[in-house]
Amino acid sequence: MTSRHAEAQALKGHLDVLLLATLAHGPQHGYAVKEALREGSDGRFDLPTGTIYPALHRLERAALVTGTWSVVDGRRRRSYQLTAAGQKRLTTERTNWREFAVAVTSLLERTPWPATP
Amino acid sequence: MAGDALIERHLAALARQLPAAAVDELADGLVETYEHHLACGLDRVAAAEAAVAEFGDPAQIIASFSRQAPGRRAAITLLATGPVFAVCWGPSLILGHAWVWPIPTTATVLFGLALLGVVATLVIAATSRHDYHRTRLAAPGGIGLVLLDTAALAAVLFAAPALVWPMAIAIPVSLARIAFTVRLVPHVLAN
Repeated sequence: MTSRHAEAQALKGHLDVLLLATLAHGPQHGYAVKEALREGSDGRFDLPTGTIYPALHRLERAALVTGTWSVVDGRRRRSYQLTAAGQKRLTTERTNWREFAVAVTSLLERTPWPATP
Repeated sequence: MAGDALIERHLAALARQLPAAAVDELADGLVETYEHHLACGLDRVAAAEAAVAEFGDPAQIIASFSRQAPGRRAAITLLATGPVFAVCWGPSLILGHAWVWPIPTTATVLFGLALLGVVATLVIAATSRHDYHRTRLAAPGGIGLVLLDTAALAAVLFAAPALVWPMAIAIPVSLARIAFTVRLVPHVLAN
């Protein structure tokens, strides 16, 4: 498994919360969400734009985001914003992630025990 | 223009499978990506090629939508009710001696064949991971299920010589599935 592939698989498990995080500062449409994800990760999470939309639809069905239509430059555009449930979920996931990251960092950076003779 | 034609072809491939609202949303994203590359200085053809590459293959996008399509989830839910029905109706039919009810053999065989057809239709919808059209088979499957549930209830009410106590559970369960499915089918058809 290449590191790129492993990273994509790992991202899959966290995609929902990352999408919620990109919407934390206000409504965004699909392309803007994708760009926020790419820029916010310094280019590491550069997903195909088309795959962002099914993920946003999944979050909408779960009532974590809500979508509204508008017309921009003659095109129909759907923008998404966090619901109260989405905000709550994001807060919970942030706390969980911080605790997880602290635990992993603590283990990875701990001075090793002396080897057993 | 070749660039615009490439964008149009990409959208046409998506429109052949996906609901109109999803295609509108994808079109906005694809055109936005295209305009971004034009603004970066690419010519129309190069911008369109870059936008299409960045957007993702239509098959990949259709698969992403299909895996979470309302039809697919509806079919999985309806199939999951099967074992519940077996548990509810099995004792009812055994204690009610269903084999002596005055129902023509032809009707029983037709009911069995129709049941197999409905289950097969729902299985096709539930296992569709790359074809959005197939997920919509949940709608005819659901309608078939409602008709079969109604036929089964009619058989009990008109052909069973007496009601037995497990039917007090089985009949409301059937009515609940009919009501649930009637609400589900329009949602599948609309998406």
